[in-house]
Amino acid sequence: MNGCDQENPRASSALDCSVAGLLVRITPVNEGFRDFCRDFIAGGDGREPDIEIVMTQRDIDAERLRSPGGQTGYSDRYIETLAVCRRLSEIMPSFGRFLMHGSAVAVDGKGYLFTAPSGTGKSTHARFWREMLGDRAVMVNDDKPFIGTGGGATVYGSPWRGKHRLGSNIAVPLKAVCVLGRAAENSIEEITAAEALPTLVRQIYRPDSPAMLAATLGLIDRMTESVRFYRLGCNLDPGSARVSYEMMTKEG
Amino acid sequence: MKLSKNFILHEADGQTMLVPTGSAGFSGLVKGNKTLGAVLGCLKSETTEEDIVKALKARFDAPEGAVERDVAKALEALRKIGAIDE
Repeated sequence: MNGCDQENPRASSALDCSVAGLLVRITPVNEGFRDFCRDFIAGGDGREPDIEIVMTQRDIDAERLRSPGGQTGYSDRYIETLAVCRRLSEIMPSFGRFLMHGSAVAVDGKGYLFTAPSGTGKSTHARFWREMLGDRAVMVNDDKPFIGTGGGATVYGSPWRGKHRLGSNIAVPLKAVCVLGRAAENSIEEITAAEALPTLVRQIYRPDSPAMLAATLGLIDRMTESVRFYRLGCNLDPGSARVSYEMMTKEG
Repeated sequence: MKLSKNFILHEADGQTMLVPTGSAGFSGLVKGNKTLGAVLGCLKSETTEEDIVKALKARFDAPEGAVERDVAKALEALRKIGAIDE
């Protein structure tokens, strides 16, 4: 804890960030937040922000209580990044965007998102794609990309990009979403949106607000209109990348 | 009784899902069969167990006592996850 006055937080100066195509003005408590979102800081063009988030020590303390296992051993600076993510994700559905837990890669200007429960191997599989494709593959985000649904689905990078901080401040059309699972042999099949839906719903940020959750579910329905879905059983062998790449990038 | 405001009923492609908000005490996902879907549909507005049974009997052909048992079972499961405001 930084010990600042709860009612008069020691706020840093406001940062204008570009996140998921929106101008987000964030006033953090901890100065370290600037470094956390350094690739997303927007040039000052005098535009009014779409979203404004002012953090207080109370927000950080509340987030600490909500974070699994986060009550001890984590700095305020880190907990504040989670709290800002929550505040932003809570309001994003009103701007037609939602957060989905996953690892997103762009290849030849199109986005491919791998999603699954933590520990399944999303980041590992995305790394196999990068190793196989070299410069053709650009990491969009390795943990918490945002998805927008205006005029086809778009996957956006975000500052919340996982423990290896892999990702960029880019946006690409989302072509396919792949649900990963562990299997002895590598295999992939195309699945319907209805088959993918339960996994998608488990991997989104679920807002506290019923209205925002309903909006998020509506956005997922819209996303399913333009995105193809796959289920990959993989054994964490680099060869699994060839299996998923050939199927997911197929045209038609 | 009524569906808790901390749960959103979502229907897509013939599937009924009950999705908890981030502040609900339950973090799973409930996927419904036809019966559960119909029970959840009734719970969108204030209702009683008797009225739900009546509504389902009007909709489904079932052996004597089966609807009552299914509705009671569904309501018990929903109560367990805090999805019903009494």
